[in-house]
Amino acid sequence: MPEVEVSIGPQHPALKEPVSFKVIVDGERIVRLDLDISYNHRGIEKAAEARDFSKALYLIERICGICSHAHATNFAKGVEVLMGIEAPRRAQWIRVLVAELERIHSHLLWLGVAAHEIGYNTMFMYTWRDREIVQDLLEAISGNRVNYGMNRVGGVRRDISGPLADRIRDGLSALEERALAYTELIKEEQTLLVRMRGVGYLSTEQVVALGSVGPVARGSDVPFDVRRNDPYLGYGDIPFDVITSKHGDVFGRVEVRAWELVQSVRIARHVVENLPAGELAVKAPRIAPKGEYVSRYEAPRGELLHYLRGNGTDKVERLAVRTPTLANWPSVVAALKGSVLADVPVVVAAIDPCLSCTSRATIVDLDGGTTKSLLWDELVAYGRAYYRQKEGVG
Amino acid sequence: MKGKEKGRRERPGALVPEMLKNLATPAATEPYPAVHIDVPAGFRGRIEVSDERCIGCSKCSLVCPTECIEMVADERDVAIGTKTVKRKRRPVVHVLSCIRCGLCEESCPTDPKAIYLTEVFAGAYGERDVVVR
Amino acid sequence: MSVLYLLLFPGFLFLLGFSFFAEWYDRKLTARMQNRMGPPLLQPFADFVKLLAKEDIVPEGAPARLQAAVPVVAFAAVATAFLYVPVVGVASWFGFPGDLVLVLYLLTLPTILMFLMGWTSGNLFAAVGSLRAVSQLFVYEVPFFLAALAPALILETWTVSDVVAAQSAGRWALVLAPIGFVVALIALQAKLERTPFDIPDAETEIVAGPLTELTGRKLGLWHLAKDMELVTGSALVVALYLGGPTLPGLALAGVLGGAIAFATFFVKVLLVLLVLAVLKAALGRLRIDQLVRWGWTILTPLALLQIALIAVLKGVEWL
Repeated sequence: MPEVEVSIGPQHPALKEPVSFKVIVDGERIVRLDLDISYNHRGIEKAAEARDFSKALYLIERICGICSHAHATNFAKGVEVLMGIEAPRRAQWIRVLVAELERIHSHLLWLGVAAHEIGYNTMFMYTWRDREIVQDLLEAISGNRVNYGMNRVGGVRRDISGPLADRIRDGLSALEERALAYTELIKEEQTLLVRMRGVGYLSTEQVVALGSVGPVARGSDVPFDVRRNDPYLGYGDIPFDVITSKHGDVFGRVEVRAWELVQSVRIARHVVENLPAGELAVKAPRIAPKGEYVSRYEAPRGELLHYLRGNGTDKVERLAVRTPTLANWPSVVAALKGSVLADVPVVVAAIDPCLSCTSRATIVDLDGGTTKSLLWDELVAYGRAYYRQKEGVG
Repeated sequence: MKGKEKGRRERPGALVPEMLKNLATPAATEPYPAVHIDVPAGFRGRIEVSDERCIGCSKCSLVCPTECIEMVADERDVAIGTKTVKRKRRPVVHVLSCIRCGLCEESCPTDPKAIYLTEVFAGAYGERDVVVR
Repeated sequence: MSVLYLLLFPGFLFLLGFSFFAEWYDRKLTARMQNRMGPPLLQPFADFVKLLAKEDIVPEGAPARLQAAVPVVAFAAVATAFLYVPVVGVASWFGFPGDLVLVLYLLTLPTILMFLMGWTSGNLFAAVGSLRAVSQLFVYEVPFFLAALAPALILETWTVSDVVAAQSAGRWALVLAPIGFVVALIALQAKLERTPFDIPDAETEIVAGPLTELTGRKLGLWHLAKDMELVTGSALVVALYLGGPTLPGLALAGVLGGAIAFATFFVKVLLVLLVLAVLKAALGRLRIDQLVRWGWTILTPLALLQIALIAVLKGVEWL
């Protein structure tokens, strides 16, 4: 059978967000893979330059729904460094608590989505049911299930009261029980294992060379975790393990995330038990002096970088966001070489892609020098002609 | 394909016991909107403005990240404690742009707050004038 | 008289109602096992009515008449196959000697039609799905036929009604050929293209497979044909292995007898549907190459083993 180009995306049920894979297949075997990202580009970096820090924080929080606290906290602590202030310890620990709850939420959601990609819908339903526990906790803490709005420049906005701490403790016990059950389930369920073992294998050297971060790197035995390598907020004082796996395939990445669930529960419990007394925030100045800083954070998907440059005004001069998903895409292209078509959703899901996080850059072609705009009817006609020509239809 | 690891066998259908147990337990889902759903205290729901308490200082409008609060001209005498203030403007919220962050509520100087978030979580209504104010 | 049987009970109208009920039952069971609520009783009917009202789009370049004919032919094939399965009493009204072969043939038609539909859709995902459907057909058809043949061999008849009659006088074929029963259920799950064998319809890989370009009335009719195939397949397994609408040694006559027979049939089909629903919910989807390997190394040899056992036991006159 001749080589056929299957385009997975930008619209496809396997993808929760738009991305385009042009897969050249020979039967079921993949010969080549081309990747197109940036479908979710929204101009956030430019928009942040037009807003003062307080408003920009809410913009940054909405880069992504699942890692919203990661982005907001990373930005807030970066601005605090630029301003030369430090949030009080209680505020930092509350940030850690919400961060770990967000990690639990993200990993549970991902376990469900990974099961769904394989057609194992029962596990999907169970993990999303358990996710409701952590959603309810976050709702009680912050007032919303997503986009928590906990941060302000200088600290946090809300406190953890006594009754709330008890409720968190109960929720965490339930979550720990379920998390341990999932670490057992992934090792036992044979239909999961046959789809995950040996699929999308990347060696340690490959993963380092491709610049992968997060559970993808840790799943190939690279012990890289920003919380350990470059501690921020309260992580230097909180005991936890960095989870790695020697497997290097999709199963390794699943294993890393399942055990990280257990670790996050333990970190969150430690925070609730040992929350230091103190203020919730320091008063932040209105402007940030000249300077630049790279703020690092271990988001659920890996290392998140925010580059901030202040210029003595109340806005950032430049914000650049490098999300973990952007760093992990090359590993997908490398891992899928030689695989079959049926493995594409599994390997793509294994990096936990968050397309809304992915790209902030636009490439501008200055050589042409002309601008063009298409009217709606022209666009529709263009689309139809393109389809006809591509499919060879009359 | 089969192997022993820590005494637990690899097998298909590892979830079957739990599945069969679930046949006898009540469902985890609720038939909303046929049942009422509780939200915790402090939930950030739909925004409301209290006309009697607002003094028209515009702090909410300045602080709003989405700039969805518009100050319109509206004169009214508002009682604060024992004093009476002549208000010149009042806020109108474009509800569909409100992200319910609560910064307006935090910055409002009156007590009790003139602009506040309620616990109403539903954002969809059948009538246009309820949603677009 | 037979026209009434054809159109009402146990023919067309009854099959229609039973198919909607079976789909509801399957979805409700799956939902409850997943700790959810599940749909209300009339949901499948509502889905069907909704689909009838939707716009019917045929892609440019696809043969419109062929695409429109395929769901109708599939529907007709499955509905006809159901006529030969006894529902009330020992014999089906339309049975004739050798009708087991006809039923098996008619049940193969939907898959071949699905291949045709996907291949001519002009959609790449549909083409890939069609190839997978046919690959899967080669894997499960042999074990399914062998498993359907096992009771026929034991009871020495090619007529479904006679198989049922023989079981009501003696023992169920389930007892005589248990391996065949297990193979029949698994092969039926593969024939119906349900998880873990829903490879042609792998939503997360190839959108909807051969059904990708199907819309409106055609999709509604196809979906209904699939439900009817579920009912017919389960009823066939019940008739061949579980004694159909009879209880062993019990003579059922008259209206009361007919009612008890029907109730027996109904309960048995529900039991088979329960097993199929548990299979569907408990497992993830296999890859096509894994299915082919597993089918030829485990499923078909098991079926062949069953046939060999029957031949041996018949030889020594145990059966």
